[in-house]
Amino acid sequence: MYFKLFYVVSALSLFSKCLCLGEKDEIQNHCDLLRQWLAPSSVRVELNKKGFHREVTTTVEFRSKELSSVKVLLIHRWPRDVYVDPYQLASLSDQNNWKILLDSAIDLEVPAHKASGFVTYVYPFSTGPTSKLFKVTIPIHGRYHKPSFDGKMLKSVDIEVPELLLRSEKCAQLSSLEPHTVVDAPCTASNSSTCSWVKVKPQQDLNPVSFQLPVGDGSLMAHVCGGTLLVTMICCVALSKYMWKHQVI
Amino acid sequence: MEKLISKLTEKHFLFTASFVIRLALVAYGDYQDRTMAVKYTDIDYHVFTDAARFITEGESPYNRSTYRYTPLLAWLLTPNIYLNMVFGKILFIVCDVLSGLLIYKVLCLRGLRAETARCVSSLWLLNPLPMGVSSRGNAESILAALVLGTLLCMERRAQRLTWAALLYGLSVHMKIYPVTYALPIALTLRTAEIRVDEAKKVSRFKKLVGFFVGFFNQDLLLFASVAGGVFFTLTALFYYMYGWQFLYETYLYHLTRRDIRHNFSPYFYMLYLTAESTWSQWLGLAAFLPQFALLLVTSWMYYKDLAFCCFLHTAIFVTFNKVCTSQYFLWYLCLLPLVIPNLSLTVKQGLGLLLLWFAGQAIWLGPAYFLEFEGYNTFLWIWLAGLLFQVVNCFILIQIVTHYKPTKTPLRLKAE
Repeated sequence: MYFKLFYVVSALSLFSKCLCLGEKDEIQNHCDLLRQWLAPSSVRVELNKKGFHREVTTTVEFRSKELSSVKVLLIHRWPRDVYVDPYQLASLSDQNNWKILLDSAIDLEVPAHKASGFVTYVYPFSTGPTSKLFKVTIPIHGRYHKPSFDGKMLKSVDIEVPELLLRSEKCAQLSSLEPHTVVDAPCTASNSSTCSWVKVKPQQDLNPVSFQLPVGDGSLMAHVCGGTLLVTMICCVALSKYMWKHQVI
Repeated sequence: MEKLISKLTEKHFLFTASFVIRLALVAYGDYQDRTMAVKYTDIDYHVFTDAARFITEGESPYNRSTYRYTPLLAWLLTPNIYLNMVFGKILFIVCDVLSGLLIYKVLCLRGLRAETARCVSSLWLLNPLPMGVSSRGNAESILAALVLGTLLCMERRAQRLTWAALLYGLSVHMKIYPVTYALPIALTLRTAEIRVDEAKKVSRFKKLVGFFVGFFNQDLLLFASVAGGVFFTLTALFYYMYGWQFLYETYLYHLTRRDIRHNFSPYFYMLYLTAESTWSQWLGLAAFLPQFALLLVTSWMYYKDLAFCCFLHTAIFVTFNKVCTSQYFLWYLCLLPLVIPNLSLTVKQGLGLLLLWFAGQAIWLGPAYFLEFEGYNTFLWIWLAGLLFQVVNCFILIQIVTHYKPTKTPLRLKAE
């Protein structure tokens, strides 16, 4: 009887060991695939439109084939010279193939020197089963800047290339993907939990894209003040004079 | 042609048609919002609706960024969430047509024939500007209806003084600018000095005392207490519900508003360049003084014709304000039909002034477009266009003032 028990137990343990090994193999597979995704991929940033209302288009292209369990995250670190309109983003959300999370409340009206930079987390989802391309277009708006006193009519604004992060639900051993850095970030745009993500090293050091915003000419301050007050005073006096002359008695 | 005009302005047809056209615009707006990239509905309507949504969730409407109105408006628009989002627009177009009806009634009381009054009212009822503004979801028509209601009740103040005070208190609660009408209304309601014989010498001191004592009469005290009561009750109620944020967003923001971003005001560039300098406060005061002085002068010169006085008050307030956007124009345009019958300008002159007004705006909009949407530094041109627009506005006001012939209403004839 004991021999029978011994055979059953060893058979069971052998079977479970096979299962574990099988699972371990699968995890290893997923992690290997993830590593493939980490292979140099291109991140391109383009700026569209002109003036104070622009569009920043980030295009990410992967070398390896698509794997449905891999999630992509783009982290944009925006300067204080620009802002995004959360209400505009919400109204566009049903047309887009991405979801966005902001790290702080945005004041839509404050000038640049009173504002602060902010971070956006963009979670694109793929457009098809075999797509290796992700395209995200974020509308941004320029803030008013302090007037310049050095004759410069335009102020330069730099937009950094976003960080590209990946994670796979089926690969938990991100340490096996060294030397790639592991960072913590929200799992999804609903910000209900934090996950570990792997940062993709950029193909080459990418320079930020930049555009220019007009600024007021501070050197004209005296002329503008004088001119404005003079014209308004003249209008005020003229209007008073005619009202006095044609008053309703 | 005359037959066509009389047919168009036939009472039932005019009001029905103006409502139906506005309804059609609301329906079209809904279609455009769903199908095209450029939306018909104004961003303000979404601000109101979002604030109303916060209220339905038991929160403060001020959680919605850039909501700078009374909570009453968000409360009025809660059916947007419970019923249909189009409710607010229907409310605004109803108030718009109501404003037209109130204009008609005031004109009749000022001595116009019913037919002429309808013709002049059609300047508002069949005017594409208020049609567009209301159907796009701006709440200006509510205030227009309240101000016109106040003026109508003031025309019949023997019977309707309490109503006038109620509507006035409500309109000041909704937007601050009607507070400027307080002085002409007070001057209208006070006991006027009795004209004495020239032979009887009355000292200047006695005259001055008599002037101030005249303000303490039953009518004025009733008006002040009802209007003040309505205003302070609503303020206290909403302060209790929403705290300091209500006071700041509804009133203080507008009083201290220094919008350095480009707008029609002639002061915009001056305020932008001096925003961080030590002179900023003094310049703000320097900008306020002409506005204040003109309002005092207007009140004293024209209080006997209240409708004209209020029109001038609002036009001057907007023209000399530190911030001016196109929404503000509706505040005095709703009172213009009350003034038009008394103007001795020819149609040609009138149209000329109208074209001049539009030209002034167009000259400003050009460089403003290039700044905002093309990125050129056109600040200097925007500033100059702003000054030009102010000169144009003042010229038009001077033309109106010099060509105005006050009506001899029964009330005034009695006094004389």
